[in-house]
Amino acid sequence: MTDLALSVKDLQTFFYTNNRCNKALNGVSFDIRKGKTLGIVGESGCGKSVTASSIMQLLPRLSRIEQGSITYHSETEGEIRIDQLERDGAEMRRLRGDDIAMIFQDPMTALNPVYTVGFQIAEALQYHTDLSPKARGEKVVDLLTDMGIPMPEKRAKEFPHNYSGGMRQRAMIAMAMSCAPKILIADEPTTALDVTIQAQIFRLMNQLKEEHGTAIMLITHDMGVIAELADDVAVMYMGNIVEAGTVDEVLRTPRHPYTRALLDSVPVLGRGKDQDIKSIRGATPDPYERPPGCQFEPRCDYATAACQQPQSEDYITDTHRVMCHRYKEIFDNV
Amino acid sequence: MLTFIIRRLLITIPMMLVISFLVYLGLELTPGDAVSHMIDPEAAARMTEEQFAEMREALGLNKTFLERYWIWLTNVVQGNFGHSLSGGVAISTIVLDRLPATLELSVFALVFSTLIGCVLGTLSALRRGSGTDNALTVVGMLGVSIPEFFFGLVAILIFALNLGWLPAGGRLLPGYETFFDRLPHIVLPGIVLSLMMTAGVMRYARSSMLDSLSREFIRTARAKGLPAWRINLIHGFRVALTPVVVLIGFRLPTLIGGSVIIEQVFQWPGIGSEFIGAVRGSDYPLVMMIALLSVFAVLMASLIVDVLTALIDPRVRLG
Ligand SMILES: Nc1ncnc2c1ncn2[C@@H]1O[C@H](COP(=O)(O)OP(=O)(O)O)[C@@H](O)[C@H]1O
Ligand SMILES: [Mg+2]
Repeated sequence: MTDLALSVKDLQTFFYTNNRCNKALNGVSFDIRKGKTLGIVGESGCGKSVTASSIMQLLPRLSRIEQGSITYHSETEGEIRIDQLERDGAEMRRLRGDDIAMIFQDPMTALNPVYTVGFQIAEALQYHTDLSPKARGEKVVDLLTDMGIPMPEKRAKEFPHNYSGGMRQRAMIAMAMSCAPKILIADEPTTALDVTIQAQIFRLMNQLKEEHGTAIMLITHDMGVIAELADDVAVMYMGNIVEAGTVDEVLRTPRHPYTRALLDSVPVLGRGKDQDIKSIRGATPDPYERPPGCQFEPRCDYATAACQQPQSEDYITDTHRVMCHRYKEIFDNV
Repeated sequence: MLTFIIRRLLITIPMMLVISFLVYLGLELTPGDAVSHMIDPEAAARMTEEQFAEMREALGLNKTFLERYWIWLTNVVQGNFGHSLSGGVAISTIVLDRLPATLELSVFALVFSTLIGCVLGTLSALRRGSGTDNALTVVGMLGVSIPEFFFGLVAILIFALNLGWLPAGGRLLPGYETFFDRLPHIVLPGIVLSLMMTAGVMRYARSSMLDSLSREFIRTARAKGLPAWRINLIHGFRVALTPVVVLIGFRLPTLIGGSVIIEQVFQWPGIGSEFIGAVRGSDYPLVMMIALLSVFAVLMASLIVDVLTALIDPRVRLG
């Protein structure tokens, strides 16, 4: 029995808009371990959301998984190749919301404004469980209670516009957790919320992970969040995972210049007060005019001529890998 | 909700007053009066000035404009709608006689355009870019740009005269009184009257549906593993519906205006064909009454739309 919940191997997802091909994901590999949190971190536009949509088969029409595999390790049915399922076919629909659930960045727009929160949570139960309508109603109240929503009976009958932003995200989490998914994908779940609410939502997610053993794929652009919540981390840049490993490995011994730049650009808890905060120079390149070799090369302080060549992945430990041919020198430099 | 409805009903009173005054003024400014229309020119040539004056006095036309308006208004408030100047028939009788036919026609057109417009618009949105969508878009453009009377004449020519499937006009034949007897008569005028509205509703439903389908709650619904019909209808269409209902409310006056012409084309014995005669004959009391009825219908329709919008969209608060 594997301890993996989901494996992504060499995933390539391309967009075909304006008759041009945007290689949004260009060979992404990672594993999500059962009951653990994998943090995916990177600047906006690097392909985090596309990764999530690929796993859920929720990609826009003009995009396609070109290559690679997404394998869900089901406890009851063995390995399921998600990439080979029909996008909106019955099998994919059965996994969505039941085995793999997702919450989104903006809880203001992610809920349907014309239905009560209770109705929208019960909908998932209706399609994935045998519960009677009455039992679904009770389950909704239980879920809202678990999410720390006061007066859940009354709240279940209210509409999203009666909820505050934080409450809505709790309702979204209640919806996602309703069928006890094995994997919860959270795409920047707190970016639209203010800081105090953010901490509450993360505490809730951690609690759910511990109580239900749900594996979480947490997408963020904030290294601070990773330090606090993740067990594993994958650093993403322009459609590649440039460095991945356990949180300890990546945050304590960052090997890729991009990881280091990211870490330098945010204050990290536990690193003391007088941190030297530097923003990364330059801007992310045009996705249609990608550099030939290392994608970070034009912005990298350590770039050499060899960086113009495609980079290979090197394993430093069993879990820690990096996509930079100079990683040894760079680490020695610290 | 109830206080809202009552307040809106109360607001209609001053609105009706202002509008009735404007219509009265408009009629006053049109050349000729009832007398000159009632009497045929040969007889008029032989009549003396005194006879004219007598007749005007008998009809109350010799008073000043404001006096006449005031008399008319006080009568109406007391429930006395007066008599038609030309036929002498009580206006309430004419209205009761003609109104059901008009209501029947408008309601048919309203229901038809709402249903067909929503279905075709939704279909178009769900199949965007397909042949069906393109064909419907072209049909919709024609629908909103070609005048209804033209469609009416073409429809009579094809379906009534050439194919003989449906009657060309009229409403009731003696002895045929059940709903199903009447149905064939209403099909052509009803559909023709609704065409423009159907095309408008269809185009609007399409864009509203496309907008709704691009919203994020659709992605949430998909992420829940719901089947396509539920995502498209229960989530997509339900949200797209509110603006469509508002549009239908806005377009209702064109339906009322259209019925005047369509009733003429199909000899539908409604209030619209009566209206044309009344305007031609400067039959003030009758014109006033019909105009006020239409205004009242439009105001009521907008009230109903507001209430409906509040009922189907929980974000809308009345007040
Ligand atoms: N709906 C879309 N249409 C076209 N291109 C898209 C779409 N969504 C994402 N992309 C492209 O895919 C790349 C990755 O985007 P995304 O995964 O949304 O980034 P992020 O890491 O901020 O979530 C970007 O280059 C973006 O332009
Ligand atoms: Mg994103």
